[in-house]
Amino acid sequence: MIGTFFALVAKELIGFFRSWGLVAIVLYSFTLDIYITGAGIEMQAKNIAVGYVDETGGGMSGKILSRLHMPEFQKPVMFTSREALSRSIYNREIMVGLIFESDFEKKLKRYGRTSIEMLLDSIAATQSFQALQYLQNILLDYADIGIPVELKIHKLFNPNATTSQFMAMAEMLSVITLLGVILTAVVFVREKENGTWDIMLLMPIDPKLIILAKSFSQVLVIMGGVVIATGIVLFGVFDVPLNGSIAAFFLLSFFYAFTSAGIGLFVAAVSKSMLQVAQLSILIMMPLIFLSGAWTPIHAMHPLLQKLSLISPLRYYIEGSESIFFRGTDFADLWSYFGGVIVLGSVLYFYGFRKIGRLF
Amino acid sequence: MSPGVIRAYILKEFRELFRSRLILIVYILPTMIIILFGYGIRMEVTDARTLIIDNDNSTISRDLSARFEHSRYFDTRVTSGMGEQEALKRIKQAKVDILIIIPDSFEKRLLHGEKTEIGVFIDGAFPVRATTMQNYVKGVIYDAARSLTDKKPTNLITVNSRNLFNQSMRDEDAIVPGLIGLILLVAPAILSALLIVKEKEEGTIFNFYSSPIKKSEFIVAKLVPPLILHTVNIFILFLWATWLFEVPFRGSFLLYWAASQIYIAISLGVGLLVSIITRTQIVAIVLTIIITIIPGFLYSGMLMPISSMSGESKIEAHIYPVMYFNHIIYDTFLIGQGLDSPKNRLYLTILFFYAIFLILLGSRLMKKELS
Repeated sequence: MIGTFFALVAKELIGFFRSWGLVAIVLYSFTLDIYITGAGIEMQAKNIAVGYVDETGGGMSGKILSRLHMPEFQKPVMFTSREALSRSIYNREIMVGLIFESDFEKKLKRYGRTSIEMLLDSIAATQSFQALQYLQNILLDYADIGIPVELKIHKLFNPNATTSQFMAMAEMLSVITLLGVILTAVVFVREKENGTWDIMLLMPIDPKLIILAKSFSQVLVIMGGVVIATGIVLFGVFDVPLNGSIAAFFLLSFFYAFTSAGIGLFVAAVSKSMLQVAQLSILIMMPLIFLSGAWTPIHAMHPLLQKLSLISPLRYYIEGSESIFFRGTDFADLWSYFGGVIVLGSVLYFYGFRKIGRLF
Repeated sequence: MSPGVIRAYILKEFRELFRSRLILIVYILPTMIIILFGYGIRMEVTDARTLIIDNDNSTISRDLSARFEHSRYFDTRVTSGMGEQEALKRIKQAKVDILIIIPDSFEKRLLHGEKTEIGVFIDGAFPVRATTMQNYVKGVIYDAARSLTDKKPTNLITVNSRNLFNQSMRDEDAIVPGLIGLILLVAPAILSALLIVKEKEEGTIFNFYSSPIKKSEFIVAKLVPPLILHTVNIFILFLWATWLFEVPFRGSFLLYWAASQIYIAISLGVGLLVSIITRTQIVAIVLTIIITIIPGFLYSGMLMPISSMSGESKIEAHIYPVMYFNHIIYDTFLIGQGLDSPKNRLYLTILFFYAIFLILLGSRLMKKELS
């Protein structure tokens, strides 16, 4: 029995390594894809293009401009007229346009307060908002408000607020979901297309064992990918902190891999060809990923979507992984994430299992 | 090229599309993406779960708490006497996003002009949100501080900001036009790649290899159905954007249409290239998604303006077609310069030649024989 099981697992693994296209995609997804997402997607406002028109002839305006520097701002570009500045903003070459009017400094000396005119390209709303905040903070430094309150702000878990670490982790979890579903579905549907699936079910081996072994082999492939991705990309390249226990993460991933294999079983059961596998996987995956909180925290979503997100196993997986890597939550406090993944996983897996195991 | 052959082949493609129900995904997928992402991506922070530990319980500290309670950015709970460790544990369990600790004798020290400090802890696991929350908290507390004192601040420089193009800084306006660009890049590419690779995987490609049909006829017959089907999506997506998400449309619809049509042709070219190097449908789909979605996001200007890029990413942005199309799309929706702007004219021309280049390259590389 155990022997048969491992023979079947080995057969599937060999089959996987023979199809170089799939191997290449799995390797790519677990390494380069995560790297590109982590390194490329930056949501914090950085390196903002600033242009200015200075009608005052230097002094205070120069001092302020010299405070706009890397990493938040590019070196401010001078424009000779407001029209030129505004044209550049309309062509989206400049994001922040500052205009120092001719009485800018005079007002400051006479009344103790003055203002800068600012043109802000606010299409990328979050970044524009942050740019505005940066500028206000710089200007606040000059002001003497006269209140002895000091604000001690601690950003926990990720003090420099580097997006790359978070994005890399979220992308890895999405990759696990995507491949977990597709790989599992592919193993079954390939046999269906070749007509060998019915023969498999008629063999003197318990069909349950075949299904279990087949899906287990793909879970192994996924886990291999997870080890590569966490070791090389997350820890090696992005220095993702590990405040919790790595064993907890791998355990959670293992359960989750089974959950996505369960979805894969379902997809395989209802589709007749690879084409349908692809269609169905995309249709199922997209909502799963976007209801998971990878892009938006759950409680900031539309109330209806919040309710729906409760049935996305990825939601528990992402929150759990976030807690393990960044928040360093104790193992005992992780039970809700484990619970969510295991409950949804068993339901999905059992359902898929029943569905694919039926002859005809 | 013989029009009769092409017409017959196109007819066959359409019939198969309907039979395999692939037609459903042609229309479900784009709508699904725009609705899910459009509602799903929220960069703006509202209702941050805030826990204020007020150890002072004085008029000033209560006033400060009230300011948080009345802001839609915070979902505030005020307690007193909870230990710092206990409260920090709440953040670790992801039950609280912001923790604000007002020390005892806060008011007394303040009135005496002595130095005092407010402790703020923010969950930094999701970095952009953390920065935004930090700025909100700073804003509220400095505002409160300013209103407390009757001393006139000196050297105060304020910013008179005029928000262009997206006055109320809505996330929908920022994201939805970019999503249209993303969808029109991904969906036609998948479909055209599938139509060709399907024949390879099922073996029916040998009909093409061995029959007298020309390569050009084959390619036209394979690319025209996705072109026609996805042209409808240009209008559907426009309706979702303006009607469902209420994104303003300030430019010329004709420019939007023309640019999108060219962009679909580019996407078909990508699909054609993918179909040449892949042999199975599953690999074709995953490969198409990989090479289109990430650049489609990165260089769209949705998350990060192109002007903020530097070094290699700026060069890469200029290599992919994404940046050119998205510039035009955001212009037609939010800016409205249209063809008056030389940059838009240039970008439209670039897109046009990009499409021709990709499709010609695909036609050259495709072989009408077993490789």
